[in-house]
Amino acid sequence: MNGPASIAADRRQFLKIAVGASATVVLSAAPGTAWAKPPSIAVPSAARTRVYVLVVDGCRPDEITAQLTPRLHALRRQGVNFPTARSLPVMETIPNHVMMMTGVRPDRSGVPANSIYDRAEAVVRDLDRPSDLRFPTLLERLQEKNLTTGSVLSKEYLFGIFGERATYRWEPGPLVPLTNHAPDRFTMDALIAMVTTADPDLIFANFGDIDRVGHSDETGTSIKAARAAALGSSDFQIGRFVDHLVSAALWENSVLVVLADHSMDWSIPSNVISVDLILRDHPALREQIVIGQNGGADLLYWVGSVAGRTAGLAEIRALVAAHEGVLSVSVPAALRLGAEAGDLVAFCRAGWRFSDPTIASNPIPGNHGHPTTEPIPFFISGGSPRVRREITLSDPARTVDVAPTIGALLGLPVPAGGYDGTARSAAFTT
Amino acid sequence: MTSLSRRELFSAGVFVVAGAAAATVGGESAEAAAPQAALLGTTFAHGVASGDPLPDGILLWTRVTPVKTAVPGSGLGADVTVTWELAEDSGFRRVAAKGTVVTGAARDHTVKAAPGGLRAGTSYWYRFSSGGVTSPVGRTKTAPAAGKALDRLRLGVVSCANLQAGYFTAYRHLADRGDLDVVLHLGDYLYEYGVGEYQARDVVVRPHDPTTEMTTLEHYRRRHAQYKTDVDLQALHAVVPFIVTWDDHESANDAWSGGAENHTEGSEGTWNVRKAASKQAYAEWMPVRYDAGGQLYRRFSFGDLASVSMLDLRSYRSQQASTIVSPQISSPERTLTGAAQMNWLLDGLTQADTQWKLIGNPVMIAPVRFPSTLSTAEIGGVQTLLGSTTIDGVPYNVDQWDGYTADRSRVISHLRDNAITDAVFLTGDIHSGWACDVPADPLTYPSTGTSVAAELVCTSITSDNLDDILGVPPRSGSIAVEDAFKAANPHVKYLDFDSHGFSVLDVTPAAVRMDWYVLSDRTSPTSTSSRSVSYQVAAGTHKVTALA
Repeated sequence: MNGPASIAADRRQFLKIAVGASATVVLSAAPGTAWAKPPSIAVPSAARTRVYVLVVDGCRPDEITAQLTPRLHALRRQGVNFPTARSLPVMETIPNHVMMMTGVRPDRSGVPANSIYDRAEAVVRDLDRPSDLRFPTLLERLQEKNLTTGSVLSKEYLFGIFGERATYRWEPGPLVPLTNHAPDRFTMDALIAMVTTADPDLIFANFGDIDRVGHSDETGTSIKAARAAALGSSDFQIGRFVDHLVSAALWENSVLVVLADHSMDWSIPSNVISVDLILRDHPALREQIVIGQNGGADLLYWVGSVAGRTAGLAEIRALVAAHEGVLSVSVPAALRLGAEAGDLVAFCRAGWRFSDPTIASNPIPGNHGHPTTEPIPFFISGGSPRVRREITLSDPARTVDVAPTIGALLGLPVPAGGYDGTARSAAFTT
Repeated sequence: MTSLSRRELFSAGVFVVAGAAAATVGGESAEAAAPQAALLGTTFAHGVASGDPLPDGILLWTRVTPVKTAVPGSGLGADVTVTWELAEDSGFRRVAAKGTVVTGAARDHTVKAAPGGLRAGTSYWYRFSSGGVTSPVGRTKTAPAAGKALDRLRLGVVSCANLQAGYFTAYRHLADRGDLDVVLHLGDYLYEYGVGEYQARDVVVRPHDPTTEMTTLEHYRRRHAQYKTDVDLQALHAVVPFIVTWDDHESANDAWSGGAENHTEGSEGTWNVRKAASKQAYAEWMPVRYDAGGQLYRRFSFGDLASVSMLDLRSYRSQQASTIVSPQISSPERTLTGAAQMNWLLDGLTQADTQWKLIGNPVMIAPVRFPSTLSTAEIGGVQTLLGSTTIDGVPYNVDQWDGYTADRSRVISHLRDNAITDAVFLTGDIHSGWACDVPADPLTYPSTGTSVAAELVCTSITSDNLDDILGVPPRSGSIAVEDAFKAANPHVKYLDFDSHGFSVLDVTPAAVRMDWYVLSDRTSPTSTSSRSVSYQVAAGTHKVTALA
C-alpha cells in the first residue's frame, strides 16, 4: 500500500488511497468523521482493543487444514476454537451476516434469507436494502459509545443492506460479473487501507472468493481444484492482514473473530428439486404460491385467498415433503424466521438443491441454506492478551453469538429486548 | 455375535478343563460347584456396584446372601432388609443419603437403590449392611451438571468377557488406573454356554456354573452370580460406575426379537420365556436402571462435552437374513433397532446439547466387505469368528448393521442431512479392535473420503478371536487377513483380529481418543497389559487418525 493519495468531500467523506502501482481503494465515512493520522505518524493505542470480524464466506470447517489454509489453520490453533459452531436458518449469506452484527434471530431483524418475496412490491428480491434490516447493529451501536466501526464487505448485497451503518465503509469493487463480488485481493486491500487510515475499533469484513467459486463452477468437474485454489488464495489474503497488523504494531491489540456465514454442499444435476415441477399436476395450487428460492431452501408464500390458505398450504406441504430430496417442510416460526420468510420453508437433503421458480433456475452445483451446510469454522484469535491461547471449547457457538461476544468484550450494553445469541466470553481472559 | 454356532460347538469335539478337575458337558462337576460353596455364609459375596450416573443421582447395587441356603437361583431365603449409605467421604462421616431396601427370593436377593438429590460431578462412597454385616465400600461418581463446561471425560470401554476363556485381568487393570469417570460395557458381559461349549481355544480356563447352557431363570441367575464373584470384576465395579447394555450372549447367541441362533424352540422351552428369564436376571443382577420388560436403551450426558446413547440391538430386531446375498438385507420392512428406538436415536442426535455424541453400539455399523484374497483357511477362520458365510465383496456379517442396511441408511442419511458433528460409535461384539470412518457412501468413499461419523471397536476381554480360531500364534497368521480387510475396506484404518484386552477413551473438546490395551495372556490371572495403539477423532472431522 502506498498510503492516502487524496481526500474528496461530499455529503459523505471519501478517502481515496492508492494501493500498489495502479489500483486505488475508496473509503467513505459519515459526515464529520475524522480520518486517522497518516500511517507514517499513526501511534497505536496500547490500551485500545481492536476487533476484526473476518468472514470467510462459505468455508467449510474441514477445509481449514495446515496444507490448504496454513494461515487460517495457525490462527485457529493459536487461539480459541469452537468446533461445534453452526450457521443458523436460513443458512445464507445475508441473514447470517445480519445475525453476526445484530445478535438476534431473523424474526427480530426482519432478515430471514437472501431472497424473499416482497408482498408489498409483489416481487421476489434480495434483502439488500438498508431498510430491510430493522434491528440495530454493532456497527452503529458502538458509535454511541464513541467507538468507531468499519465495514469491508465484498458482496454487493451485503454492502447494500449494511449501507452506511458503519463509521467507515468500503463499497466493493471491482466486481466480478455474475457474482457481484469483489475478489479477496481487493477486499483485503480495502481492509488494510481502512486499518491504516481510520483504525476503527471494529471492522466487519467479508471475503467472498471461496463461496463464489463453490457456486459458480457449473461443470462439476473442476470444483475441487478451483475450490482449493480459492481457499489458498483467501488464506494468503488473511495472512497479509495478520502480517500487516504485526508490522503496524497493532497485533498485540487485535482480536480476530474468524468464521464463515455458512458451509457449502454440492449436488449432481439429477438431484434437483423444483416445487414448480412438484405442483405441475396441481396448477390451481401452483397459482396460489410464490417461491423464494435460496439454493438449499425454498420459501413458499401463499398469495391465494385467505379462505383457501390453510387447506392449500397443508396440501402443498404434503406434496413437497413427499419428494425424496426434501428433508423437511416447516413453518417459519419454528425456525424463528419471521413473517418475511413466508408460509412454509422447505429444506433439501445433503447432495440436493432447489431450483425455482423453474427447474432451470438454479443450474449451479454448489449450494447452501439447508441443514447440512450449518457447520462453520469459528475461532477467536489475535495478539491481544485478552484472547486465551490454544484451547478448544465445546460451547455451541453460532453466528448470532458474534454481536454479544464483541459487545461484552467492548463493554456495550445489551440491546433492547436482549440478544438471542450468547457471549462466548470463555474465549477471553477475565 | 456369533462365536461358534451350536452345531460347530458340538462338532468341535475335544475340550479340556484347565486345572485338576475335569468337567463334563451336562454334568455338575466339583469345580463348577465350588464357587457356589464358597459363597455360603458370605453375606455380600457378590460385591458392590454402581451405575447409570446422573448429575443428581446414581444407582447402587449389591446382592445379599442372608442365609447359607439362599444361593443365587435357588429361590430360597426369606425377605430381608438391607440398609444402604452414601457419603462424601470414605469414612462415612458426611453421609449424603441413606435408606433401606427390602429384598428377597423374588428378586434373587439382589438390591438396588437409586439415591437422588446428589451433587453433580462428585465422588461418593457407599456401602450396604444387613444382619449386622457390612459390605465392602464402593466408590462412585455422579455425572457433571448438564451444560457444564467440561475439559475431559475418561471412560473404560469393554465387551465380551467369557469366564471360561480366561481371567478378567482387563477389569483389574482398569480398576487399578483410578482415573476413570465411568466404564462402558457394550455387551456380552456373560456367556450362555455350558462347560466346554465355548472357551479359550480348546481349554476351559474356568468352567461355567451351571455347567449346562443357561436357559432358565435359575440358570441365568446362577451364571450372573458366578461372574459377580470374579475378583477382578468386583474390583472394577467397586471403584467406578458402569453404563451397560446387552448384546446377544446375555440371552443367547445371535438373539433377535423372536428367537436366537443358540435357542431350540421346544427342547429349550419357548423363546419368549427364555428371553424373559434372561432379562429378569439381567435386571436383578446388573447395576442398571432397567426393570424386566422395560426399556434398556437410554441416554446419559456429561456436561456440555458428551452424551452417551446406549442402544439395545437385540430386543426389537428382525431375524437375521438367511444369507448375505438375501434381498432381506436391505428391506425397509426389517429393522435392527425397532421404530421407536430409531426415532429416539435420531432425535437425540439432532437435539443433543453436547459436543460429542457417543453411541454405545453393541454391533458394528461401519460397512465391512469381505476381501477376495483370503485363503480357504483364513476365510474359514473369519467365518467362525464372525458367524458368517462369505462371498467376495459382499457384507461379511449379517448380524451387524451390515445385515440391516435400511436402518443403517436412515442413520447415515440423518447424520449427513443434518450435519450432525462429532458422532462416534463405540462398539464391541466382534472380539477385535477396529478404528473406522463411517462413510457417507462406501462406493464413493475411496475418492471423496466423506465420512459422517467414526467407529471405535474395543476387543474382547477374553473371548476367542482369529488367532485362536486359526490356531496360530498371536500377530502371525491374522496380519495378512487384517491387511486384506483394510484393502477391501479403505475406511477401516485399524484392525487387530488377535488381541484381548480393553480400551480407554479420552474425550476432550478437541478430540476423542481411544487407546487399545492388550493382555499378555488372557489365561493367566497375573496377565500384564500394555498399550498397543491409539487413534483419535479430531473435533469436527468424523475421521479416525493414528496417534503415536
